[in-house]
Amino acid sequence: MADIGGASTDDKRSYYFYMLPGAIGFVVIVLIPQIANFALSFTSWKGVGVPRLVGWHNYLRLLTDGQFWGSMSHTLLFIISMTIIPVVLGLVLAALLFDYIRDEFGEAVSSLFRAGFYLPQILPVTAAGVLWGWILSPVGVVNTILDAVGLGGMAQNWLGDATFALPAVSFVIVWIQVGYCLVVFMAGLSRVDPALYEAAELDGAGWWHRLVTITIPMLAPEIFVVALTTLIAALKVFAPIFVLTSGGPDNATLVPSYLTYYHFFTTQRVGYAAAIAVVQTILTVVLAVIFLRFQARQESKE
Amino acid sequence: MRKSILAMAMGAMVLTTGMVHAQEKTFNIWWFEDADSAEGIAWSHALDELRANHPDVTVNFEQKTFAQLQASGSMILNSSQAPDLLEYNKGNATAGLVSSQGLLLPLDDAFTAQGWDKILNEGDVVLSKYDEMGIYGSGHIWGISVYGEYVSAFYNVDMFDKAGLTVPTTMDELVADFEAFKVQGIIPLALGGADTSGQHVLASLAYTKADDAWIQNYQGLRAPLDTAPFLYAAQTMVDWVANGYVSKDSTGMNDDDAALQFMSGKAPIYISGTWNLGKFNSNIKDFKWGQFLVPTPKYSVGSTGNLWVVPKGSKNVELAEEFISLTLSPKYQTEMANAGGVAIAADPATITNPVGKNAASVFKEISDKNGLGFYPDWPVPGFYDVLIQKVAGLLQGTSTPDEFVAQLKQVYDDAQENQ
Repeated sequence: MADIGGASTDDKRSYYFYMLPGAIGFVVIVLIPQIANFALSFTSWKGVGVPRLVGWHNYLRLLTDGQFWGSMSHTLLFIISMTIIPVVLGLVLAALLFDYIRDEFGEAVSSLFRAGFYLPQILPVTAAGVLWGWILSPVGVVNTILDAVGLGGMAQNWLGDATFALPAVSFVIVWIQVGYCLVVFMAGLSRVDPALYEAAELDGAGWWHRLVTITIPMLAPEIFVVALTTLIAALKVFAPIFVLTSGGPDNATLVPSYLTYYHFFTTQRVGYAAAIAVVQTILTVVLAVIFLRFQARQESKE
Repeated sequence: MRKSILAMAMGAMVLTTGMVHAQEKTFNIWWFEDADSAEGIAWSHALDELRANHPDVTVNFEQKTFAQLQASGSMILNSSQAPDLLEYNKGNATAGLVSSQGLLLPLDDAFTAQGWDKILNEGDVVLSKYDEMGIYGSGHIWGISVYGEYVSAFYNVDMFDKAGLTVPTTMDELVADFEAFKVQGIIPLALGGADTSGQHVLASLAYTKADDAWIQNYQGLRAPLDTAPFLYAAQTMVDWVANGYVSKDSTGMNDDDAALQFMSGKAPIYISGTWNLGKFNSNIKDFKWGQFLVPTPKYSVGSTGNLWVVPKGSKNVELAEEFISLTLSPKYQTEMANAGGVAIAADPATITNPVGKNAASVFKEISDKNGLGFYPDWPVPGFYDVLIQKVAGLLQGTSTPDEFVAQLKQVYDDAQENQ
């Protein structure tokens, strides 16, 4: 197949042939829907019938839509709970498991912990979400336990009170995300030359020093990749919100993806939903490009 | 590569399903009532009869969910994948929308030819008719409802008896009963504040202040929102929370949680719809329970049920009509009532289940006085979610009743202006 047209010497051209299936997939599944979505964002459409062109109307409406801006500000918080906290926590836990637990308690214990932290990634979000819904319900496990140990005063209406709903959902998301960061970081750590740690230890560096001076710099490529992928995930988070709170109470946990879903499927403002999706896509792409630029600059410095 | 395989698989799927549809002797039918609901039980038996009547036809039934059709129903009806007959949500934003887009077949001829006009009265078909704009009440008949729904208060008869309380017939009596339970340390009203029952309680209270003009304007999207009934309802709900008649934690509960509070005998009252009847009928064994209507002068939250609709691409219109006739027949209407459903056309004398008997007579009582006030989310697409979010805000105290009605008015008036 590679030497199609007998051009066996022209290696470069034959490579393109292998890209074809992927390219077709990209065009059909990513590019065409993106273009269609972009076009729809300039129309008023109910999902059936003929879309009606409305120009910039949907975008102008976005500017004054409190729900949209609210959802955007929640996204910033979800960047903290989906990217920053899991990366930091993942880093510390990975170093702890790799550097301390494994040495003190052996490979098996370290693997057990790693598997345990990764489990939320394997569980379907819907199933995990329903379980967390029960755990965090006003008559759920958390409050029952708090009552039982005499801390009933700390029992809260976790998902039903605007003050607690966002932190509670964030907590569940951290629980989901941390395993992903941890596993990537641990794989990265196995690449690091143990001699570095031994030398540092001989020089009297403590665990914290080793983390800051060896682990973090050596893991820079992994940190970049994990931070980028979780950042993108944070910008388009949907499933945990959908399952846990449906954006409530009183839109306290609304995010752009959910708002898109809401307008597409329930208010039947498909054009408006498309406009939100376009803004969200542009934002995600811009952030990703900035991030990749930054990473490239860091790497060229080294 | 993975993407291309996916694309190929999708292509293959489209091809094969297209082929299945090409076979003529297949009858495809969908509905979303649960298999153990009264409707689900009666309809599956009716479908067995249809199968027996037409041994040459392959009958394909698919169980859908309400959320599935709510989310993508219009797109399915606009594709070649639509079945020959399906249950579809009634209302302007759903059945009205798809009928106005020409995705359904009108049933006017069948309505008289099949004799449905002799079974259903004028009030039973208000939500069957949609005009060219998709607004209910006039125009062709696009769907047939074979059952009713209404929101009422379910109450624990044993707990009422023990407390020496009677079924309230006025709002004051209702509040007095609440107070009597509260004094005993019982939170009287179970409420799914993060779910639908919040807006059902809200609407039930609003309808105590609603006259004919208000209901018609509100449901018909005819004028900017007159907020007075909602303000009363919102204030009352806030008072109920403040007085301890409703848990302040209700915003963390959905309807299933609240229903469980009632079913487990923790809460003596739960205000919700007749779709709970089947569940309560089969699950509550420890105590006697009953229903009373929230005391309103005329209107109750309720309507005829969801509609049988025939998609424009249906290849078996006769079979579809025959099945609708079966579900309207006394046999299956009675069976539905005996399973705890709200029969629309059953002879009360033949109903043996007291739950179904009561439900059928209450529905008839509301329907006969034209008291079906419909659901509060109907006039505006997406109002359902707005009401859930805003009622939660009201219950948890992030918005005052005045702010609450202002928020509703903003969304309502926006839709009213731009319809």
